[in-house]
Amino acid sequence: MAAKGDLLLEMSGVQKRFGGAVALRGTGLKIRAGEIHALLGENGAGKSTMLKILAGVHANDGGSIKLGGKDFVTGSPEASIDQGVAVIYQEPSLFLDLSLAENVFIGRQPKKGVVIDWKFAQSEAAKLFKELGVELDPKRQARGLSIADQQVVEIAKALSMNANIILMDEPTAALSASEVSRLMTVMRSLKSANKAVIFVSHRLDEVFAISDFITVMRDGATVSENPVEKTNLQKVIKEMVGRELNEMFPKTKNKVGEVVLDVHDLTNPAYFRNISFTVKKGEIVALAGLVGSGRSEVARAIFGVDKYESGSVTLNGKDLPKGSPEDAMARKIALVPEDRRQQGLFMIAGVNRNISMESFNKLVDRGLINFKRERALTNTWRDKLSIKFANQADPVDRLSGGNQQKTVLAKWLATDPDLLIVDEPTRGIDVATKAEVHRLVNQAASEGKAVLMISSELPEVLGMADRIIVMREGRQVAELSREEATQEKIIAAATTGKRGA
Amino acid sequence: MNLFSKLKISSREASLAVILFITIGVTGLINPRFLTGDGTKDLLTSTSVVAILAIGITPIVVMRHIDISIASTVGLSAWVIADFCKKNPDFIWWQCFVIGAIIGLAVGVLNGLLVAGLRLPSLVVTLGTLYIVRGAVYVVSNSIDYNAQEMPPSLLALGQKVYFGILPFTFLLVIIAVLATAFFMKYTKSGRDAYAIGSNPPAADLVGLKVFRRTFLAFVFSGFMAGVAGVFYLMRFAQVDSTAFYGQELAVVAAVVIGGVTIMGGSGTVVGAVIGALLVQTIQGGLAALGVDAFWKPAINGLLLIIAIFADRRIAVSSEKRLLAQRIRERV
Repeated sequence: MAAKGDLLLEMSGVQKRFGGAVALRGTGLKIRAGEIHALLGENGAGKSTMLKILAGVHANDGGSIKLGGKDFVTGSPEASIDQGVAVIYQEPSLFLDLSLAENVFIGRQPKKGVVIDWKFAQSEAAKLFKELGVELDPKRQARGLSIADQQVVEIAKALSMNANIILMDEPTAALSASEVSRLMTVMRSLKSANKAVIFVSHRLDEVFAISDFITVMRDGATVSENPVEKTNLQKVIKEMVGRELNEMFPKTKNKVGEVVLDVHDLTNPAYFRNISFTVKKGEIVALAGLVGSGRSEVARAIFGVDKYESGSVTLNGKDLPKGSPEDAMARKIALVPEDRRQQGLFMIAGVNRNISMESFNKLVDRGLINFKRERALTNTWRDKLSIKFANQADPVDRLSGGNQQKTVLAKWLATDPDLLIVDEPTRGIDVATKAEVHRLVNQAASEGKAVLMISSELPEVLGMADRIIVMREGRQVAELSREEATQEKIIAAATTGKRGA
Repeated sequence: MNLFSKLKISSREASLAVILFITIGVTGLINPRFLTGDGTKDLLTSTSVVAILAIGITPIVVMRHIDISIASTVGLSAWVIADFCKKNPDFIWWQCFVIGAIIGLAVGVLNGLLVAGLRLPSLVVTLGTLYIVRGAVYVVSNSIDYNAQEMPPSLLALGQKVYFGILPFTFLLVIIAVLATAFFMKYTKSGRDAYAIGSNPPAADLVGLKVFRRTFLAFVFSGFMAGVAGVFYLMRFAQVDSTAFYGQELAVVAAVVIGGVTIMGGSGTVVGAVIGALLVQTIQGGLAALGVDAFWKPAINGLLLIIAIFADRRIAVSSEKRLLAQRIRERV
């Protein structure tokens, strides 16, 4: 058993090439026992490749990886598990049809003779869940579990494998604030058990709240390795981006015009009740609150994806029929959904097809698609949003997360909407692209569009919104102006329902 | 019922069994012959071939794959066995099983290598082998048919053998196979891996499951069962030509799906698959007993399939709603 502070794993000069593309050009990483270690970098910096090498998904092309003085074997997930490395991916990779106990022990089921000892597996799983402070029923099917609970199962799995090094890829990306703090408690308990926890995150406030050590990567190389007390937010951002970032939230004061969206007493008992608010021309209104508080559902109801039971939605003074995205689009509403891969894009279709998807009428020439117009449209939006791709027909699957998000934005901005709804517009994208998305959303508002933004990132809400509506468990609990809003007030309202001090 | 709870027969299998008994009961009320020992024996005999094939492909479907080459394999197995028997008049029954098994294993190995080894889509691979194997039957058979007089008496006698007045030998083998496979799927690592692989294929790779080996062996198993089904075919019909069991692969897939094995992988059991096969056969036998024209058979089979998938969908939607409600409650 390693003592606290012992060097467990050392990577140096590690290289990885995919075809012609160089993913890692000599990266280093030192992992010590009893340490929470943040691995930072923009999308494409090589963090995921590093994790995947340690996970055994890829083998490194060059450089050395030493585990306790011995060479670390890469290229096989089984070998990584045997060497005490466990990975918790961004999208938990549970088997939804199987029970939690089975998920914990998958591939290593305890046996009695030739058969699996289910009783033992269940009691062991229950013990692990208890250790982690989240008492889940081991006999329960994994289907229907929240992302946060799925992560707990993944962590229990890692513990059951006696993993000493636990890698987490953006573990908090899909969690609500209370779930994040629960995860942090779990991470601290792993730390006190002398495990090493390495995690990747784009939420820098969390990184500074929990980590002991920060390694920053850029363009496939390590640029800095510092204990947390020897660095700071500005320094880390500069190292990640490679230059000073002008402004994270380029907020401009816009001329606020007449009411575009008027939501009145909107109720769908399963998700939200009595929601009333307005969004005016040139205004950015944020819906804040915990994940699961009903924010996305309100947006979906406005756009007509889901039906609502009572209340009304008025757009530019006229009632909007419920349950019809076609009508919503015809009336110039755009919805950039929270899950771009599942809901926002056709992943295997080309960038051009995705961008022009909702602008069909602009492309049609005597009833047929005019591809010249599609090319022109794609180029226009590529330039406006500086989307990076090699070929127009490249499937969006191949773009980075940030460029995918810009593609979804382009698709909807191309429809020239009066009301732009953006749900978690910067989830899982790097700082520099985040700032760009903020600029784009802000620009849309300054052009006189009404913007409704849903975000779990408080700095984003505070930095972008003119007004903030806080939801808690399906109810609207506070409305704050830009001037009066603070992080504390929003958290207080979102978690207790009271307007805090 | 202890055995039932041991094998974790879920509510899906239980409700299917209830539907099966109701169907048998209703048919029996109208046509009492259906409930006699002979009626039961006929039902079980006529279900054996489809049932053994259903057991064979269940692990594959659970792994989110499919094997539609099985009916061709049955044809090849049956014809080659008959040919061997014709050329070796002193052949006895178990030698027929050996030949059938070898042929089935060969097709299974081919499918397994293509699907698991080269990671080609199983639907296309087995569509290919469906035609290749059927083509092989046409070529080797050269339009020669075989009848009862060319087959080993010991095999035909076994085909007629009935235990306790109702249980034919072939269905006895089906019962043994279903129990063994159900046990294997529930209690062994390989069996559980099959569910995991079908539930989330990329994750199966990430946790280091032996995806190649499991997938390969599942196809070998399916091929083996198809080879054995060839022997069952001979025992039942006592004749074979090059079109034997032509086009029956989808009837097996239908039985499996009706039996609650999800075509998207990850769930379902061999017990359900066999009950599904019995249900299809009972309804068809029942309708025949009621004097419904045999031309209705395929249409009724299709209707059953759609009802089954509709029921599955309803169950999935309602359980999803329940889980969501539970989550909302837990949070409050």
